[in-house]
Amino acid sequence: MNDLCADIGYLSINHAGEELCGDHVETVQQDDGSAVIVLADGLGSGVKASILSTLTSKIISTMLASGIPVEECVATVAKTLPVCSERGVAYSTFTVLHLINNEEIEIIQYDNPLVILFRDGKNYDYPRTELNIDNKKLYTSKLKLMENDIFIAMSDGCVHAGTGLTLNFGWQRENIIEYMEAFYDVGFTAKTLSTILLDECDRLYEGSPGDDATVCTVRIRKRETVNMLFGPPANRDDCNKMMALFFSKEGKHIICGGTTSSIAAKYLGKQLKFNLNYGDSDIPPTAELEGADLVTEGVITVSRVLEYAKDYLSENSSYKIWSYKKDGASQIARMLFEDATDINFFIGRAINPAHQNPDLPITFSIKMNLSSELADCLKKMGKNVKVSYF
Amino acid sequence: MKITVCIGSSCHLKGSKAVVGELQQLIAENNLKDKIELAGTFCMGRCQEGVCVTVDDKFYSVSPETTKEFFLNDVMPKVK
Repeated sequence: MNDLCADIGYLSINHAGEELCGDHVETVQQDDGSAVIVLADGLGSGVKASILSTLTSKIISTMLASGIPVEECVATVAKTLPVCSERGVAYSTFTVLHLINNEEIEIIQYDNPLVILFRDGKNYDYPRTELNIDNKKLYTSKLKLMENDIFIAMSDGCVHAGTGLTLNFGWQRENIIEYMEAFYDVGFTAKTLSTILLDECDRLYEGSPGDDATVCTVRIRKRETVNMLFGPPANRDDCNKMMALFFSKEGKHIICGGTTSSIAAKYLGKQLKFNLNYGDSDIPPTAELEGADLVTEGVITVSRVLEYAKDYLSENSSYKIWSYKKDGASQIARMLFEDATDINFFIGRAINPAHQNPDLPITFSIKMNLSSELADCLKKMGKNVKVSYF
Repeated sequence: MKITVCIGSSCHLKGSKAVVGELQQLIAENNLKDKIELAGTFCMGRCQEGVCVTVDDKFYSVSPETTKEFFLNDVMPKVK
């Protein structure tokens, strides 16, 4: 196994007026760094389309992940899908991205817009082989993965965006390539790249999409560890032990909390340097400490990070704030959501006597909930998260 | 002279941002930038009395409403 890993992020917008999305993305991740991602687009829109695409993506991802050849998967889907009473066909297009050991990718495409691959910042036209299964024309490709590869899979709602409204023939694949190429070097996460593309589609549809549109982005990147320290240990005698374990970890180091950062400063024998620059933020300012990458205040900052994490997992609209702002919460969000693939939390369980004031909205349970909720969110983002309590 | 304002959680909630902002303004208005160093710190351990402020090593409890008064009564006389 190499030190590459995949950052997978997807998002959909629904056909105007529909509660359900007719596109569906299903991912199956395996321990050896393999993953199967299926983006299916069911015929029509609404409930019927949603059932077709959910079944298709679930069947294909489960079967491929257990090593069953693609021909059998397609045959199973064809036999399982309910036939649409209006149109007399059972139909769902799909795209499969099958990552193998983080070394290779197998792409299988059936009637969705062709997957876009950016390699070294440029569109890369990968070879495709035609495959005929039950009179269905599929394209398969197998490629070696390279660091910084970005794969973008879409449903046809993306390339149809704007047809007859803002554009005559919709947004062609070439236009999408041109549009997304500009974001290659920024370092946005897969989820954010998907959001950027979909936001543009939504704009072209003038906010009222004529079809379900889905984007699934996969970024191949190197593993990176970020360690986060939050709160002093329950027993003050454990300070040195906690600090020694924290600072011995490879990767970046974030320290959250006033008392916690003083303990860290004492351990390192360095001075904390505070800045009083609030900017336009209502988050307490950060501090600098030689030996740590970021020092922030505790609960208020981490509460904000948790808000950003929850939003990232749903609509992902607040990346427009945290992806560039300089306040502590935005900086933590960038380090945890964008930079990190592996995260070690060092959570101290000390009860801060200063917080035992009924006038203050901070309690011990809030602090403990914050850390566990944040860890859960980060796991849902596909990160390896380890939590140690002291 | 060094004025240190706590920017920890409790004091933040009690308005240290406003205190810092007002002090910055007062220092600028009185042309005291080379005489007063304004700094931040995390928790001083006296959150009940926040916003916690120290002038050199002397402790003061300040709120956004009393910042101007604190500056005129406790800071200005010492500068001159």
